[in-house]
Amino acid sequence: MRFVSLAFKNLWRRPVRSVLTVTGVALAVAVAVSLAGFNLGYQKAIERSIDRLGFQVMIMAKGCPYEAATMMLKGGTGLLYLPADTYETVRSDPEIQSITPIFIGVAERETSSIRADAGSAFAVFAGVDAKSFLEMKPWLQFETGPGFDGGRWFREDSEDEIVMGYEAATYEQRKVGDTFLATIYPHGKPDPVLKEFKITGILRRTGTQDDGTVFVPIRTAQSAFNRPDQLTILGVKLRAFSGAKLQEFESRWIRLPEVQVVSLEQVKSTLVMLIGTAQVMIAAVAVIAVVVAVIGVVNTILMSVYERTGEIGIMKALGAFRGDVFQLIWLETLAVCIVGAIAGGALALAGTHLTEMAIKALINLGIQGSIVTISWGVLLGAFAGAMVVGFFAGLYPAWRAASMLPIDAIREGIG
Amino acid sequence: MNLEHGSKIIEARGIQRYYQRGSETVKAVDGVDLDIYAGEMVSILGPSGSGKTTLIHMLSCLDAPTAGSLTIMGRTVNGLGEDELTRIRRGTLGFVFQKFYLLPTLNVAENVELPLLFYRRPVRREETLAVLGQVGLEDRARHMPNELSGGQMQRVAIARALIIRPKVLIADEPTGNLDTENGQAIFGLFRKLVCEQDLSVLVTTHNLAFGYLADRIISLSDGKIIREEAAPRA
Repeated sequence: MRFVSLAFKNLWRRPVRSVLTVTGVALAVAVAVSLAGFNLGYQKAIERSIDRLGFQVMIMAKGCPYEAATMMLKGGTGLLYLPADTYETVRSDPEIQSITPIFIGVAERETSSIRADAGSAFAVFAGVDAKSFLEMKPWLQFETGPGFDGGRWFREDSEDEIVMGYEAATYEQRKVGDTFLATIYPHGKPDPVLKEFKITGILRRTGTQDDGTVFVPIRTAQSAFNRPDQLTILGVKLRAFSGAKLQEFESRWIRLPEVQVVSLEQVKSTLVMLIGTAQVMIAAVAVIAVVVAVIGVVNTILMSVYERTGEIGIMKALGAFRGDVFQLIWLETLAVCIVGAIAGGALALAGTHLTEMAIKALINLGIQGSIVTISWGVLLGAFAGAMVVGFFAGLYPAWRAASMLPIDAIREGIG
Repeated sequence: MNLEHGSKIIEARGIQRYYQRGSETVKAVDGVDLDIYAGEMVSILGPSGSGKTTLIHMLSCLDAPTAGSLTIMGRTVNGLGEDELTRIRRGTLGFVFQKFYLLPTLNVAENVELPLLFYRRPVRREETLAVLGQVGLEDRARHMPNELSGGQMQRVAIARALIIRPKVLIADEPTGNLDTENGQAIFGLFRKLVCEQDLSVLVTTHNLAFGYLADRIISLSDGKIIREEAAPRA
């Protein structure tokens, strides 16, 4: 028999109490791991979403660049537009490797909305030039399989063909060849127009904002929304991308009266910085959960020590040094924390999908794909944290037990 | 260290244990002189409150006398710290109490082996079984404490004390929780250990019949020895 096995056996004397304490630690660890996983996952999801826009620089109408970038990621109303001829003006820049014009408009879905919540009533339409758009996003592919086979991009001159992102299509239970009805509010006109589109392809899931988007030829979108001479953004990929090159590029085009040049790296770092503030609050919640669990552990072990006062006295009479008693009680605390950490880590892993669903249901983050990433680093961090917590939480009960004089402990135990 | 039969193990001279209860000074043990020798069984008799337990706690280095001197195996223990006292107890003194204090989640063999954990001595199951054999419980090694009778539990506690091969077995009211039959059996076991292993046994009891099974009987009253006599042998 070793001290470790004796510690576990001692904990098993009050199985309900020990299990409840371990559960408390496990829940705290699960909360901490899930929140850390969310912090990490959300940051990665934002970075992934921005990277997957496919371009390094956005040229857009003057306004708040971060709001505009967020709208690009998330969709939404209140978009600003820039003159369509900006495209022709800017594309001559020798530093540009590729450039794609994008028109964004928001329409109302008119068809088989499965859910009746407000968020489901809108469809984000992206008017794109398929050729240059695909140069930016070569990874876009069509879904295959029953109902998806035969997908293709729309003809540029078509007025009713659309390509749907994976989630937009599955949400509406649409297949290739189906129709899609949307009510569009043309700019400057009083009456909405109900328009019927034909689905020519459904894109494979990308884990980005593209999954929820309906793609149409850019001219069709401009015409439908009655903004024939306007664009939402120009996505630009530079031949050599660096801070200096970007500055040069920006200074060349900032002279245009209605245009601003925004680096997605800047957007990314600003959004990540904003998230950092939220992360501090989230970390505070995790810390509170852990502190509550620690108090529970200390309380349980202290109760256990007081209950075993006489027994501790006997152990000392039988030859246990203070250090032996300290070690035994300290190991019991550590055991509770380690078992709790393992259970909590497993719980967080098992509940990743649930956590993600809960977060997405509570807050519209506008991020497609996974937003909770529980990495080995997070799990190991939680485990190490639990060890450190167990180390300190065990000190006081262990010291109390070790300080008991054998005679006092025996007397109390008998009394 | 092997002790010669009859050599002195514990020597107490004028030991006192006074404590305050409000404004009153309670003289739990009041100037006791006592020697315990190797291979003898000594019982301390007396009514409740006579100071038996306080005396035996001092003789076993669990409690410190407020005055007088106490020597264990030739070493004066007055004023020693807790860990030093533990060192003196280890390997010299084995303990049995009225309450058995067996760990409920350990089986009989594991309970007996518990002190070896503190001694950092490797566990040899055959040694455990041999000790259990001495108390007549070798067939109960895998039983849990709640599967034993009171008498059997006290035997396990005795085996737990014996596993460290003590020079003196100190038993404080070991039959207090047992019926007469089991109590007699426990004292019979002590007698056997004294005879067969040359172990010293120092036992407190308020049962005169049990007390007179010892070699020497010390009667205590109000913290003082009032009589010391050799037990009559048939």
